[in-house]
Amino acid sequence: MTLDRSVSSKSRILILGIGNTLLGDEGVGVAVIDHLKTLGNIPGDVELLDGGTGSMVLLEPMREARRMILVDATADGSPPGTIHRLVPRFSTDFPPSLTAHDIGLRDLLDTFYLLGETPEVVLYAISIRFPQEINFGLSAEAAAAVPRVADQIRLELGF
Amino acid sequence: MSNRIVIDPVTRIEGHLRIEAVVENGVVKDAFSAGTMVRGIEKILKGRDPRDAWAFTERVCGVCTTVHALASCRSVEDALGITVPKNAELVRNLMFCAQYVQDHVVHFYHLHALDWVDVVSMLKADPVATSKLAQSLSPWPKSNPGHFAAVQKRLKSFVESGQLGIFANGYWGHKAYKLPPEVNLLAVSHYLDALEWQKELVKIHAIFGGKNPHPNYLVGGVPCSFNLEELNAINTERLTHVGSLINDAITFVEQVYIPDLLAIASFYKDWGAIGGGLQNYLAYGDLPTRSYGDPSSFLLPRGAILNRNLNEIHEVNGKDANEIKEYISHSWYQYSGGDGVGLHPFKGETEFNYTGPKPPYEQLDVGGKYSWLKTPRWKDHAMEVGPLSRMLVAYAKGNTDVKELVGVVLKKLDVPVTALFSTLGRTAARGVETQVVAHWMKGFFDDLITNLKNGETKTFNPIRWEPDTWPATAEGVGMTEAPRGALAHWISIKDRVIDNYQLVVPSTWNASPRDAKGQRSAYEEALIGTPVANVEQPVEILRTIHSFDPCIACAVHLYDPEGKQVHQIQFS
Repeated sequence: MTLDRSVSSKSRILILGIGNTLLGDEGVGVAVIDHLKTLGNIPGDVELLDGGTGSMVLLEPMREARRMILVDATADGSPPGTIHRLVPRFSTDFPPSLTAHDIGLRDLLDTFYLLGETPEVVLYAISIRFPQEINFGLSAEAAAAVPRVADQIRLELGF
Repeated sequence: MSNRIVIDPVTRIEGHLRIEAVVENGVVKDAFSAGTMVRGIEKILKGRDPRDAWAFTERVCGVCTTVHALASCRSVEDALGITVPKNAELVRNLMFCAQYVQDHVVHFYHLHALDWVDVVSMLKADPVATSKLAQSLSPWPKSNPGHFAAVQKRLKSFVESGQLGIFANGYWGHKAYKLPPEVNLLAVSHYLDALEWQKELVKIHAIFGGKNPHPNYLVGGVPCSFNLEELNAINTERLTHVGSLINDAITFVEQVYIPDLLAIASFYKDWGAIGGGLQNYLAYGDLPTRSYGDPSSFLLPRGAILNRNLNEIHEVNGKDANEIKEYISHSWYQYSGGDGVGLHPFKGETEFNYTGPKPPYEQLDVGGKYSWLKTPRWKDHAMEVGPLSRMLVAYAKGNTDVKELVGVVLKKLDVPVTALFSTLGRTAARGVETQVVAHWMKGFFDDLITNLKNGETKTFNPIRWEPDTWPATAEGVGMTEAPRGALAHWISIKDRVIDNYQLVVPSTWNASPRDAKGQRSAYEEALIGTPVANVEQPVEILRTIHSFDPCIACAVHLYDPEGKQVHQIQFS
């Protein structure tokens, strides 16, 4: 979260990557944010947020966005590195296997939808192998998915 | 008749805790707590720069991130003999207090209230009567009948839209729920208010830590640049924002949280005699008013209480090899010196040895190893940690703010002082602590402003920043209090990199399995004697476990594709 936002509340687009970087590929969502930062050229109304293992503290940036792109790992049994784009309407629409990475993600999503006035949400779910080892760094499959997801997001948002 | 109840998972937030309770004639006779906290953080940290450790440990948990960073910085500072500047101590205290107030309030409304509040009953409440009740309890402005009618309608349409949210996984309609519909509506309304408010409060972390989640810390100080006039520094405008967030926090706690806590507790006074459990309490303490190296200056004092004897506070030393030790007799690890010994964290070993059943399974083999949590002991005593322990140590040490507020709460509820040693007491202690900490936060803020106005802006002590100033070997411990209890990190530095790193987290103290002598830990002991009216809906067990604010999130836990938790984690 940056403090001085040149763009006022509810007009920003939030790109939120979440995951536990201490658990190998579970950190792939955060890696996408880092990659987008490296590429640069981010429009003024787009906020990149490394959500890490943050839980309820993420409510504030999520509630203040008009549109949100969430990037997370999922253990859905698809080949590692598979990318799915989903448009959930409620917390119950999220894949149950969105990885846990110590984040109270289900609680976060429940309260996010309960509070209402939710922005448009798009979820990029990246399939990972399950379970993951305690390790810092990505597998080859997850690492290969990172620029692909970043490119799709850039295409979707036109930057 | 004897039943074995298995509750897995127990945590309302995602976490990984399993309770097996043996119920006979409607009462818990025995209990086993199993966690799948596997600690492998040292595997990642070994060989790294000690100055970077905080950034890794901060990510082990999504709930208490800042306290892990704090404990980590302190462990390195302790090892290298660094004292942080006064303003750095104040900023750390402000971060600490903001986390406590936010975390305790979220625990109460989001994680614990629904053990006492029946959200379905709320739909039957009369908004006019709820409004009258609200106005009799507190000056909090959102209390007119229209407001409560709107909350009712909103939740009804939420459920009708096919969403479950907080309505999921409840034992609604259970006879153990005793609140009138109006109190239920009031609590649910404040649950929504709390969610909105807490997201503002945590901006304090972003202001001082540069970002949130996972704010920045710094070995030797805090990464804050103060300049009252400078646009890009922490300036007057930002500090004014912090000041107003602190005032809002005090208002919310005094006008919403505490009145709700007392109103709800008054219907459940019988819980002042249930769930006491262990008679020993441990607090590392925190909130230095001089420096971290001087525990006598802590507002939350350090100490241990044995056998509920509040007349004697024992000294606690994190470095003494004979005080804190971890056992693995019932944990899926092995020690090179045999599984019966206890190891001080400086000598800690993390060698996995899973001998449990292959999941999914019906029951754990509780005679053998049955948990991924190690069992910490203080001088071989099983200890409870958390707000109750902190408030008891503060009370026994004569802290006037704590003594006064504990007295007020006991009087308002009309319960004896022994009611503190209970499920109700644990939940009340958390409320008491929130209120005193919110006021202390204001005090720390005022001190910081005074220092800045006097031109004192130093936030970093550069001594020993450069590795060539370090000794060949060094050991340190960083002690703090996470909202849910005593937390410490132990670091060994060799040749300027991390050689060993061990965390002992609050839920290890409370949720661990039995020790080598068969002594139960806090959760297991607290459940003994708990009444269970309906073994299919053991809400009473959840009340006691949730009163500890379980969070096994420093754990590693994973879910299978159906969203069910699994117990075995693979390691290379």
